[in-house]
Amino acid sequence: MTANFASRQATNQPKQPRNNGLFGNTLEARKKRFGLLFAVPAFLFFGAFYVYPLFQTFYVSFFSWGLLDEPSFLGITNYTRLFADKEFLNAIWVSFFYAFGVVIPIWGVALGLALIFNQAFAGRQAYLTTYYIPAVISLTVWSLIWLLMYNPTFGLFTVVIRWFGITGVRILDDPATAMLGMIILSIWKGTPVYMLIFIAGLRAIPGDYYEAAQIDGARAWQRLLFITLPLLRPVFLYVMVISIIEAFKVFTPMYLLTNGGPGSATRVLSMFIFQNGFQYLKMGYASAASVIFLLILLLLAVFQFRLLRFQQSD
Amino acid sequence: MSRRTLRLVGTISGQLGLLAGAIFIMAPALYMLSASFMTSSEIFSTQVKFLPASLNWENYVEVFARFNFLRYLSNSVLVTGAVVILNLVFSPMVGYSLAKFNYPGKNVLLLFILATVMVPFTAILIPLFLIIRNFGWVNTYQGLIMPFAMSAFGVFLMRQFMLGVPDDYIDAGRIDGASEGRIYFQIVLPLIQPALITLAIVVFVANWDEFLWMLVVTTGDALRTLPVGLAKFREQYTTRYELMMAGSVIAAAPVVLLFLAVQRRFLQGMAGLSGLK
Repeated sequence: MTANFASRQATNQPKQPRNNGLFGNTLEARKKRFGLLFAVPAFLFFGAFYVYPLFQTFYVSFFSWGLLDEPSFLGITNYTRLFADKEFLNAIWVSFFYAFGVVIPIWGVALGLALIFNQAFAGRQAYLTTYYIPAVISLTVWSLIWLLMYNPTFGLFTVVIRWFGITGVRILDDPATAMLGMIILSIWKGTPVYMLIFIAGLRAIPGDYYEAAQIDGARAWQRLLFITLPLLRPVFLYVMVISIIEAFKVFTPMYLLTNGGPGSATRVLSMFIFQNGFQYLKMGYASAASVIFLLILLLLAVFQFRLLRFQQSD
Repeated sequence: MSRRTLRLVGTISGQLGLLAGAIFIMAPALYMLSASFMTSSEIFSTQVKFLPASLNWENYVEVFARFNFLRYLSNSVLVTGAVVILNLVFSPMVGYSLAKFNYPGKNVLLLFILATVMVPFTAILIPLFLIIRNFGWVNTYQGLIMPFAMSAFGVFLMRQFMLGVPDDYIDAGRIDGASEGRIYFQIVLPLIQPALITLAIVVFVANWDEFLWMLVVTTGDALRTLPVGLAKFREQYTTRYELMMAGSVIAAAPVVLLFLAVQRRFLQGMAGLSGLK
């Protein structure tokens, strides 16, 4: 064990072993070596499966490559082509439309449910369990259920909205409504997880604040507005960042229900990358699209963090 | 008196609202269960039926008879099981290292792990596929398993729990002359046992669901997991909803049953970890 780890140590050694205190038989040095040893799997794993692929994506994006032929250098041509490609610009727009169509209702519903579940009432645990079930049904299964739900003649969804006088809906066959169909099923499945996060955030607020407010005669809505919501801000930021990234990742329902159609109405970025890479074997082109995809998410995250910092300083 | 009546009305209407919400939320899942027992003509009838006339187990028999469903199921169990075990081995190690030790490169590692949460899987899909192809792992179990052997989420979760382990316990072990390895296995791991169960469940639920990677890396029927099997099924038999729903019930059941068995612990664990900063 010790010998093995000393030899790994040697390869990971930075150039100047003088100050980092990795060597020797002091307790500090032994602790450092042990910590590093336990981190080795993470260096290998995240290096091989995340960091290296990220650089590789960037590198391949400058080539034309059909996977079976030799890659040929193109410079930035893939990028200039992308921005002239109506399909790609459509994919960006459609992804934004889907992501915000999903996350904004989720924030509201999840927070509302969390406020309800933050109270004590009979059967709370049973209701919470039931409300959480859509989150544990796998997305593949969930998508297939909704394929049946959306069936234009006998699907449950179509039947129920018919009770409300909305008839002749072919939600997945119409380019104007297909994405709405994706959004509905995603809200249904996505809400419970964020509800749980909000519940945790609410539970973390010290009860003293509410007691003090009550003594001062604050009403329920005042407590909500001036204690709960401001103190929930960090949790809200976390939910915002994670939910938007999750929504941009979406792939499964589009693949199973519409394959990006009708037309290109539901061809989100993930779908665009998958089709270009693995169906048309345009590895370079798909990689360039991946780079832009990453940049979009990065910009969104930066924007959100700025937004929070701005709010905190006011 | 009137105040008490008012409160009673409030309680009852609250319960009715929650019940209506529960039915609403569960409707798609119940519909799946119901449709999985219907005959084809029952599903297609213009007079909409919510319940089958009788429990028609034929669909389940047919799903297993006509497809490699048993194979998909065992592949899913095998792959998800292996991923869970790998995560249980590695995530606590790395989490412990990040929480309790200082060494060169630690902050860079932590930063990278946090950053990977932001990277959508699609964005690294192509190079990841190329790496797995270079390893000769396309259409192998390793290829299905290894990219999920660790997750940023799991490592981060473990780090959070390890931060809560008192340093005194670890130092006491050192003073008693225990090796670092022994401290980890005999003091630290037993302390975070509840967190390990949470980790196992979260990883299980997430990987049982993995679709895109399994789709890309499997080339034949033999290694398909349930989600990919179901997708292929949907492509071949676009109108056999009753079979599709029976297959869906089989795919959903293990996770839902696991969830129901451990729901209290799972919900508390999930709530606990997201409460941590």
